[in-house]
Amino acid sequence: MSSDLVILLTAGLTATACGLLGPFLVLRRNALMSDAVAHAVLPGIVVAYLIFQTRAPLPIVAGAAVFGIICVLGIDALRSTGLVKWDAAIALVFPALFALGVIGISTYATGVHLDLDSTIYGEIAFAPFLSLDVLGAELPRTVVLGGAAVVANLAFVALLWRKLKTTSFDPQYAQAVDVSPARLSRMLLVAVAITAVISFESVGAILVVALLIVPAAAAHLLTDRLTAMIAITVAIGWVSAIGGLSFASAADASIAGMMGVVAAGCFVLALLAGPRYGLAARAIRRRRAGRRARVALGAAGEGGAAA
Amino acid sequence: MSADEVPLHSGGGAPALEVRRLTVSYETRPVLWDVDASFPTGALSAIVGPNGAGKSTLLRAALGLIPADAGQALVQGHPARAALDRVAFVPQRDAVDWDFPITVREVVEMGRYPVRGWLRRLTGEDRAIVDDALERVGMGPFARRQIGRLSGGQRQRVFIARALARQAPVMLLDEPFAGIDARTEATLLDLLRELRAEGRSIVVVHHDLGTVRASFDWALVLNVRAVACGPVSEVIVPQTLRRAYGTDAVEDGAEAEELRWVR
Amino acid sequence: MGPLIDALPFSYTVSVIALGAAVLGLTAGVLGTLAVLRQRTLVGDALAHATLPGVCVAFIATGAKDASTLLIGAGAFGLIGALLVVGLERSGRTRPDAAIGVMLSSFFALGIVLLTYIGSLNESGQAGLESYLFGQAAGLVERDVTIMAVLGLGALAVVAALFRPLKSTLFDIDHAAAGGLPVRALEVVMTALLVVAIVIGVRTVGAILMVAMLVVPAAAARQLTGRLAGVLVLAGLIGATVGVTGALLSAQSGLPTGPVIVLVGFLVVLACLLLAPGRGVLWRARKLARDRRRLLVEGVLIDLETALHGGPPPTQRELALASGRPRRALRRALRDLERTGALARDGERIYLSESGAASVHAVLERRDLWSAWLEHGWRLELPDAREPDPRDLRASLGDEHADRLRALAAEARS
Repeated sequence: MSSDLVILLTAGLTATACGLLGPFLVLRRNALMSDAVAHAVLPGIVVAYLIFQTRAPLPIVAGAAVFGIICVLGIDALRSTGLVKWDAAIALVFPALFALGVIGISTYATGVHLDLDSTIYGEIAFAPFLSLDVLGAELPRTVVLGGAAVVANLAFVALLWRKLKTTSFDPQYAQAVDVSPARLSRMLLVAVAITAVISFESVGAILVVALLIVPAAAAHLLTDRLTAMIAITVAIGWVSAIGGLSFASAADASIAGMMGVVAAGCFVLALLAGPRYGLAARAIRRRRAGRRARVALGAAGEGGAAA
Repeated sequence: MSADEVPLHSGGGAPALEVRRLTVSYETRPVLWDVDASFPTGALSAIVGPNGAGKSTLLRAALGLIPADAGQALVQGHPARAALDRVAFVPQRDAVDWDFPITVREVVEMGRYPVRGWLRRLTGEDRAIVDDALERVGMGPFARRQIGRLSGGQRQRVFIARALARQAPVMLLDEPFAGIDARTEATLLDLLRELRAEGRSIVVVHHDLGTVRASFDWALVLNVRAVACGPVSEVIVPQTLRRAYGTDAVEDGAEAEELRWVR
Repeated sequence: MGPLIDALPFSYTVSVIALGAAVLGLTAGVLGTLAVLRQRTLVGDALAHATLPGVCVAFIATGAKDASTLLIGAGAFGLIGALLVVGLERSGRTRPDAAIGVMLSSFFALGIVLLTYIGSLNESGQAGLESYLFGQAAGLVERDVTIMAVLGLGALAVVAALFRPLKSTLFDIDHAAAGGLPVRALEVVMTALLVVAIVIGVRTVGAILMVAMLVVPAAAARQLTGRLAGVLVLAGLIGATVGVTGALLSAQSGLPTGPVIVLVGFLVVLACLLLAPGRGVLWRARKLARDRRRLLVEGVLIDLETALHGGPPPTQRELALASGRPRRALRRALRDLERTGALARDGERIYLSESGAASVHAVLERRDLWSAWLEHGWRLELPDAREPDPRDLRASLGDEHADRLRALAAEARS
């Protein structure tokens, strides 16, 4: 496989894996929790490395899952004391965990290819050079892991489809029908943690948040239907991957960062030009409604706010 | 303006609160449509209607808290936005952060800020007014307590005290009796009657038709449009209520106390 | 600044770092409290991430890397970010948390792009700018700290001057607006103050961890006092202390500054949450346990009285069967009662002592009084808004009203 293809596939598969989870995060108002969880996996990576002395994927994924759960439980615990609000709880827990991770890395892992910068924006340029031994064949590591993430998230979404669909739109109904939205959110966030750590090598655990939230938020502006939203999210993800790659090589800048910027660009486009929810469309609709109201009130030209 | 300067009645007998052709929409949906209503001076008036009828919206749009699409609001004959010093507003309690670090006294003192000036120190007179307001609602012993450590009824008393401290001739209350115990409701209703006897004009958004029938003088029946506005005996009657709520809302010949809000 | 640095018992560099951290903690503490009370801390997170592209743009535009230039860039992008977040929220379809998330990651991605672009232009370009990512107190110089201090004091002066309008807007924005306050303008002021705090602190703790410095002091201070003025002052003090402690610890141990400060702060918050008198988790748990225990003891007393009325003095096992209480709970209650002299034992059998009988009487009277309150309380004419404590109505309402209640109840019975 050519280097460029490897990088492209890695980027695209990462975006796809994130794009499968993103719409649910956005709909369930879990966007910021997913941001917190993505930061919280850092100490998990360090701990797994310290215990198992390896960078093999499985222990590291386990470490990430554990710390993702710790993050979620910690935030819930703080909130349930009633002494801090939910946003303060988030803003207390994930920096503490992230700080732990940073200290861990600078103390134990210097020089072992586990440095700080790659936590932020990954080293996707190195992707063609890392290989994984899969059943005897030498395959690009990041592509394999990315593919695994896509398959895992696909399975997750498919298995829990009904519950996800119900609770994402109407949590109260779901609770009455004995589907626990809180537990589902937790599982979703664990999936986020695992996806984050898998993407750690390619786009960095932090820019994963961009791929999780931004394409989904853009899709939210373009459609009302869940299946369409997921499809559009994945599509925007690929656009970000391809666009990111091209612009980044042109500007000689971070590929992952550029992917985030392109995704943001798609969001802005959807925000401005979206056919139903875009700003332009709404302004037109509002003006038409205002005109109709004034005509109906027979107060053409009078209008205006209360005195 | 101190208490002596703001007249309780405006000369010329203008109503305490009046709205003309008030229209408010959310997105493209009208919440208030072409509402004409007036509330007389020195009366205890109610705004009634089913959920979503726009009752809170009317008060808030009149005060300029939300923008109106069309129409005007007048307080004692003057444009409402310019006459805010004549109005004391008691908003709904649902959006309050009860964990906010503020004491009972500090909340009531806020009633004096618009009068004294937002940046100037409160005078001895202000402090006396605050103490007085606290005593009047029975919250004197609780002045230094943080508001989260009060019961629902006690909290509502605090917000009423804040409006009292304002010493305004017109008082607007948004669902003051929602979610409080019967004893507090009885006490507050007595207080409102006292205030009316002092010559103040009071407009209350209320959900209990029984109380309105028994204790209020004037009512606006609202359901996006103004259904009827006038003395309670003329307006809180089955025909009007049917128009506001639909035919299944009222049983013919039902006692006033059994009238319920049904959407 | 010079004499202040000399006054400190540390080396010059460490003194500068300590002062810088103190300024950071103080301003982030006070100004962050406003954000915490408005529940806009995560907006603060997004704005902190927005400072990264800001410093890069400032560098690209001017070629200079001194603190003031970068500060202006950071501040400008912070304000732009604030405008965009508010605009996005108001636009309707995008929910607040998604709006913040989009803003946060987009600005951050832009920052990374610019940072790596600068790095690719020249080797040393990135240095200095990168410290805005994870924080770096070590590079602080006296001039930086002076600028931070001046900005910070200005911001604090604004808070002091506008204290009342801010308090009113924070607590009840509708009432403030109905009272004629320009609440929109005040919200803009608060957001600008937030940006100032972020801009001051982001060099020391880094953009990613900055949000913790906004929340830690406020969360801790709120557990210790119930008045806004007190919370602001305490938050400033706690923030400064956490900042200095963390910075000194990090200087000594060689660990990165930002993370150490954040961890120190987190521990302080935990301590306050657990131990705060009257409010803390442990305090409440103890109170709950004590109340439960008292209820248990009272219940067992009554059970014993009932058993004694109906037959011979019971053994512990008989009492357990009759009352239906779990053995261990019963044993604990009996031990408490024995200790206070309410019980007497005769071999296996348990009696009530004289004082025990009196206690039962008191418990029963209290329960009767509470029932009387529930039924007749509305007829009492209480002078103020006091409400009875179910554990001791007589004490909370006073003898006069308690007697009146008993009279009302007796009337009703006859």
